[in-house]
Amino acid sequence: MSLSIMLKVLRRHALMPTLVLLQVALACAILCNVLFLVWQRVQPMVAPSGLAENELVLVDQIASRVRPWTGAEVRAGQLALSRTPGIRSASAALGLPMISMMMIDYTLQSPRGVKVGVNGYFGEGLVTSLGLQLIAGRDFLPAEYRDFGVNQSSSAVPGTASPEPIIITQSLARQLFGDQPAVGQMLKVPDEPDGHGYQVIGVVRHLMRNQLSLATDGRADNTLLAAKRIGDTAMVGYAVRIDPAMREVAMRGIRDTIKREFGPLMAEDIQAKIDTYAERRHEALTSARAALWLFAGVTLAVIVVTAIGIMGLTGFWVQRRTRQIGIQRALGARRGQVMRYFMVENLLIAGAGVMVGMALAYVANGVLMHYYELPRLPWNYMPIGGVVVLLLGQLAVLAPARRAAEVPPVVATRSI
Amino acid sequence: MRYNLMLAWHGLRRFPRSTVLAVLTVAMGLAATMTTLALLHQLTADPLPGRSSHLYLAWVDTVHAKPQQNQSLNEITVENYHRIKLGDARELLHDHRAAWQAAMASVFTELTGDGEQPRHARDYVLATTGEFMPLLGVSLRSGRGWTPAEDAAHTPLVVIDSEMAQHLYGTTDVLGRDLKLGHGVFRIIGVSVPFRPQPHFYELAAFGFGDRRRDEAFVPLSALLDAGVDLAGSDGCDEDAPKQKTLFGTDAIHCASLSYWVDLPDRRQAADFLAYLQHYAENQTSLAGYGKPAHAELTGVGTWLSKQNVVPDNVRLNAWLAGSFLLLCMANVAGLLAARFLRRGAEIGVRRALGAPRRAIFQQHVFEASMICLIGGALALPLTLFGLWTLRLQDSGFTDLARLDPAMFAALFLLALVVGVVTGWLPAWRASRVEPGLQVKSA
Repeated sequence: MSLSIMLKVLRRHALMPTLVLLQVALACAILCNVLFLVWQRVQPMVAPSGLAENELVLVDQIASRVRPWTGAEVRAGQLALSRTPGIRSASAALGLPMISMMMIDYTLQSPRGVKVGVNGYFGEGLVTSLGLQLIAGRDFLPAEYRDFGVNQSSSAVPGTASPEPIIITQSLARQLFGDQPAVGQMLKVPDEPDGHGYQVIGVVRHLMRNQLSLATDGRADNTLLAAKRIGDTAMVGYAVRIDPAMREVAMRGIRDTIKREFGPLMAEDIQAKIDTYAERRHEALTSARAALWLFAGVTLAVIVVTAIGIMGLTGFWVQRRTRQIGIQRALGARRGQVMRYFMVENLLIAGAGVMVGMALAYVANGVLMHYYELPRLPWNYMPIGGVVVLLLGQLAVLAPARRAAEVPPVVATRSI
Repeated sequence: MRYNLMLAWHGLRRFPRSTVLAVLTVAMGLAATMTTLALLHQLTADPLPGRSSHLYLAWVDTVHAKPQQNQSLNEITVENYHRIKLGDARELLHDHRAAWQAAMASVFTELTGDGEQPRHARDYVLATTGEFMPLLGVSLRSGRGWTPAEDAAHTPLVVIDSEMAQHLYGTTDVLGRDLKLGHGVFRIIGVSVPFRPQPHFYELAAFGFGDRRRDEAFVPLSALLDAGVDLAGSDGCDEDAPKQKTLFGTDAIHCASLSYWVDLPDRRQAADFLAYLQHYAENQTSLAGYGKPAHAELTGVGTWLSKQNVVPDNVRLNAWLAGSFLLLCMANVAGLLAARFLRRGAEIGVRRALGAPRRAIFQQHVFEASMICLIGGALALPLTLFGLWTLRLQDSGFTDLARLDPAMFAALFLLALVVGVVTGWLPAWRASRVEPGLQVKSA
């Protein structure tokens, strides 16, 4: 049967196809947007961290009640931790992966003019303590570290006279320098064009940023390590790399050491948090997981409702045309042809619905983007959502179409 | 009309399967929408009904420092600097240009009762000035507030809230007793009714929703500073301050650490007050050389809350998502209804042939649709409660506010009715177009 006849039939009885079209359009628009939101949440979960995850213990929220910790106290803690049995290495740090309590904000500008927003991590020996994999250049030399603390960071202290050495990630190197080798390159701070800027001395394979909301669209690894030793600070954390075979001993050791070193001066209302990396990761991704469950629920509900709608409407549509189908069958149409007719018809309606739906999705995303901090829906989500809905339509129409194919030719002879 | 209602009711029972399907679909859509709307409703509620429309946060930029550069590609913006220094607060209080005004800072500190074995608590107290009570609408159970003279004299007085009094002293009859804050001893002169506006909008350092967060006592700012309690947190300090700035220590004289709220009953007064503030900013000769324009701002409560992104974007996004899901459910139910109405074309034909006007047919079918949606609404109620319960389980700081109040309960049924009428419109119209002759013939 030709397409023009099919269209004519659809136009004659416009109500059913219109309702199906409406449902498909809405479902498509919702699914495109939800898929996109899901991907935004999933990206931080699947991004490689670059850390020795199984060996890492993170300690933070060591807060003083009376005065900032001195640099000496912070280093004594680091020393005591690294001498604890079961511990391979420990670094005092500001900013730690999966902990959003403190985020260090950098904006880097490459000689080519590329600007990238980056999260930094401060601390002595972090490459070892976090278990990072250096793929080019070298780690910081002990002499390169500068103290960073409350007093040192205030504007009264003059800046360094030479560019500050930094270690960046592979992905960041590619964004900033393209194919050129990154080691030795200079970077500037956009706000301070005449500052000394930074010099890249090493590149690590991966290092996940702790601003998880930005760990999307290839920005998960926008991270740098700065050659800063933690000086006086009101709040300090430690990255501790343990021997996984001695986990129990090491955890107990860390707890005792922190208590011994910092306990007497620690604020009562803030407890030091000592957790394995896996625990911190679980905690940091809680809200993303909750959102995923919600979106999964929405997707399921949309799919079920749409499928039911299409099935119900097409079923009725088939029933109404039982006699015509019988006539067609009597005139020699085969079962497969009848079935195909309904499948193609559904494809036609759903296709139109998907077109409308994609336009709707785009407009909806535009509106949402205008009011909320939401990135633009990339084009490639539209066809994905569209195809999902088309497949759904075909599946939903299967049962009614089969019922239509089962109509015996003899129906044509009845009741005329 | 009664007859049409009855027919509609019969219609419902004729096809129980599709009725159940339609009811379930509507219930799902309604429940999703109501769950998100109830949360949104709670989060956007006026923190101080009747009062917040004429409360404003006043700000003048007098910090001796270069203007902040805040170019960051990490979506961290630090431009909502809205606290002022102690000196400016004193000047503004002295000029007294608004109906009510008070400087305030919410401080986390230790409270200690009196007696042989005093009880402790660590919680927030609001360091403020005399007019906070009429300004914010804090009400007293007993005793009194303090006077401007007592403010000026740095008299150690405190107004404690009844729950904290109960906790520290075991009674709310505590007038005249002593409360230790920092290294000072403060005499209790008033017991207040617990003051917990949602969100805790009036003080920025500890901003947010939740029952746990409220100010347990109100203390004169000057006396609390004398007792050595730190204000903890500022929007920037003078570069020429004698004391080095520290991360947590705050020098109130040189650091912008106080929120200054004023009550301005009408627009004209608000405009006058802003002009006065601007004038005040322009007269700050000491700011010359820092390259800053004279800058004053007056922000209403509503603007302030939206500027601070108090309601998480996620919540609004989910409401949109739920709303569009409801639309989908409506389209679905419209389809189910259309199929069901047209299936009974023959009956409609008979009714029409017997003289029923189109209007009656239309009415009958709209009734039927509305009934389905109302039943769906009734079913949506437990579903909504379940949805809110799961939201509360997630605990993201504000979700304990996810509750259904009577207004939202009424809104649920109104929404169900509207959805019913809107959904039924098209199928009912189509049903009322049925030609009597044709249908009777073929029946």
